[in-house]
Parts: sequence; structure tokens; C-alpha cells
Amino acid sequence: MSSSATLRQVLRARPFALLSSSPINIGSVGPYQVFDRHAKRLQKDRSALREGGARSRTVDYVRDEVADRMIERMVDIKRKFKSVLDVGSGSGHFSKLLEPETTQKVVMLDSSKELLHRDPDDAFEVEVERIHADEESLLSVVEPNSQEAVVSCLSLHWVNDLPGVLVQIKETLQPDGVFLGALFGGDTLFELRTALQLAEMEREGGISPHISPMTDSRDMSNLLGRAGFTLLTVDVDEVKVAYPSMWELMDDLRDMGESNAVIGRRNYIHRNTLAAASAIYKELHGHEDGSVPATFQIIYVIGWKPSPKQPKPLERGTGETNLKEVL
Amino acid sequence: MHPSTSQAATTLTPLRRFATHTTTTCSVQASAYGKCILATYTDVRKDACKEEFAKFGACLREAMKRK
Repeated sequence: MSSSATLRQVLRARPFALLSSSPINIGSVGPYQVFDRHAKRLQKDRSALREGGARSRTVDYVRDEVADRMIERMVDIKRKFKSVLDVGSGSGHFSKLLEPETTQKVVMLDSSKELLHRDPDDAFEVEVERIHADEESLLSVVEPNSQEAVVSCLSLHWVNDLPGVLVQIKETLQPDGVFLGALFGGDTLFELRTALQLAEMEREGGISPHISPMTDSRDMSNLLGRAGFTLLTVDVDEVKVAYPSMWELMDDLRDMGESNAVIGRRNYIHRNTLAAASAIYKELHGHEDGSVPATFQIIYVIGWKPSPKQPKPLERGTGETNLKEVL
Repeated sequence: MHPSTSQAATTLTPLRRFATHTTTTCSVQASAYGKCILATYTDVRKDACKEEFAKFGACLREAMKRK
């Protein structure tokens, strides 16, 4: 009663702030909602349209770098696929790197239509199909047991129900199908996070969420195990980028479509707080040449859907070689 | 076509100009403020570096007035 009354008050007082947000039903039962998916889709669509896509292409560097490192892991899998599903493909940073030797076809799926269609088909080396759909309800567009390989390159960090999406990915895979993913880890943008927190604390006397909570590598192996994947591989890597100042970093993040989309975020930061954060960023983390670093921590995961054909550990006690002789 | 970078540089938004002032025009005051935070960053509270920020803010306001 009282909560709906306050909500109504808020709605009456600030209709403008809620226009761009999806209706979030506080009373409903479901996965915990951290991110505003509707706002995220708008941000991504806008980022792809800014200056006719030119801004979005300039800031491809992080995704291109990670896609490049991920494709190395892909070619380590000695298989030729008929089709690969790229969940949260964006404009296809990873899909563009796929070669005919690896797969005949790639299916790109993303919730942002503009980003999905940003680049023409001839930028890809293999046949492309595009599906505009929400990654969170993968099973509504992809048949279960239909995919040989599912990949996801830097998109799962905006998913509210990560365990649920991993289960859905496993369901769409055929037995012995592979999932290959890259996600932002918890240390991502720690410089910006700390600078903004210190600035808000000192200027305004409190902090609010500006950088998303992100998963870490331990959580990922647990979640993959829980979702039913086997033969897990999880490893962590970093991409460090130097910027002239905090302002260029924030501009680039916006153009990547990676602006803040945490539910309950403040829609604006006071200028003074930003100025303070910029000064703190530079003093706390800056390089000697005056530039400032930004860290992107990447978690790479590989998991397989179980199949009776897969190699299994032998029974206990069936070993025939005495290890004493080997060592 | 869309504005090229040179054109964009001449029509800076107020926030862009503000950004430039925080990093170049008022870099001395910014640095002083940053050092003050750095000295107390394990125990930062509201207005811990009020004086330093007042100088930084004054410089920024002065810089924004000039065209």
C-alpha cells in the first residue's frame, strides 16, 4: 500500500525522468532487476546513429581487441561449424573475424536494431543472418538443441539474469556444443569508479551507482557449472587504454553505448562533481605523461554441453602406470 | 554529411569547454585538489577539501566567463 502510494507520488512529481525507462513492476516475482534494459537499448540505438555511425566505429577499439583475442580461442577448437550463433553481437565485432574455415554461417542476435544493422553484409567473410531480439529471452527465438556453437563477446554484462541466460544458452546448444564467451570483469573501470565515488563523497556527502556491478572469474565458473556446462575453461585478461583525461573516456563510453543503465541511477551528475572527479582521476591514477588509464578486465569462458561422446575421467583405481616411476 | 572534427572543434558545447578548463586552464588548482583528496582518501568526508575545491571552482567560473 504505502510503497504504491509513494510510487504514485514519484510518478506525479517526475514524469519526465520516467519517460525513457521501462515500467518496472516492484511487486512482481522474478529475477532481480539491476539494469534498465529499455534504457540500454535506447543508448545502443543512439550510439549507432550518432554522426551516421562514425562515432560508434571510432570507439570499436575495445571490442575489436577483445574479439581478436577471443577468435584465437575459437580457432583452437578443431571443428568446422555449419552455423555459429553470436548472442549480443552488437555490430558484429566478433562475427566479422570468423573465417570460412571455421564456419559457413553466423547468426547475429542483438537487442539493438540500429547496432545490429550498422555494418553491411560485405564486411563479413561468411554468410550473415541477423535476428533482432532480446538476449534475455533467447529461447523464444532460438530452438532448443539447435546450435553447434554459441558465442557472446562483451554483451552479457548488461543482462539482469545471468544464470538464466547461461541456462538458455546451454539449452539452445546441441549435445557436445560449445559456448565461448567474453565478459567484462569486476575490475573494469575501477579508476573511474573510485574517482567518481571519492568526488561524490567529498562534494555531495554520498555516493550513487555510476559503474555497473560486474561478475568475477570465480562467479563465472560457478555459474557455468550451475547452468550445466562441462569441461570449463575460465581465464582473465586485461585491456588497458590511455586517455587524455576522464572526459574523453566518458565520451567514448557513451559512444560505445556503455553509459550507465543501472536501475535507480541518477540521471545527471553535477558539474562540480565531474570536475572534482576529473582532478581526482588524474592525481590518483594518472600517468606521468599526463594521460589517464582505464582498465577493462575481460573474463573469457569456454563451456561444453554434456554429451556421452565427450572424454570423461577414468574410474578411480583404473590407472595402470605407477606415478612413482614417472616422476 | 555530418560535421567533421574540425567543424565540431569550433562549436564546442559548454560542457566540452568546461572539460578543457578542468584539465588545462585550471590544472594547477585541479592538481592541488586532487593531492588533498589523495592525502585523505581512506577517510574522505563531505567538504574534506573544501578550500582546495573553492579555488578550483573559482578558477573554472572565471575561465567559463571568458569566451
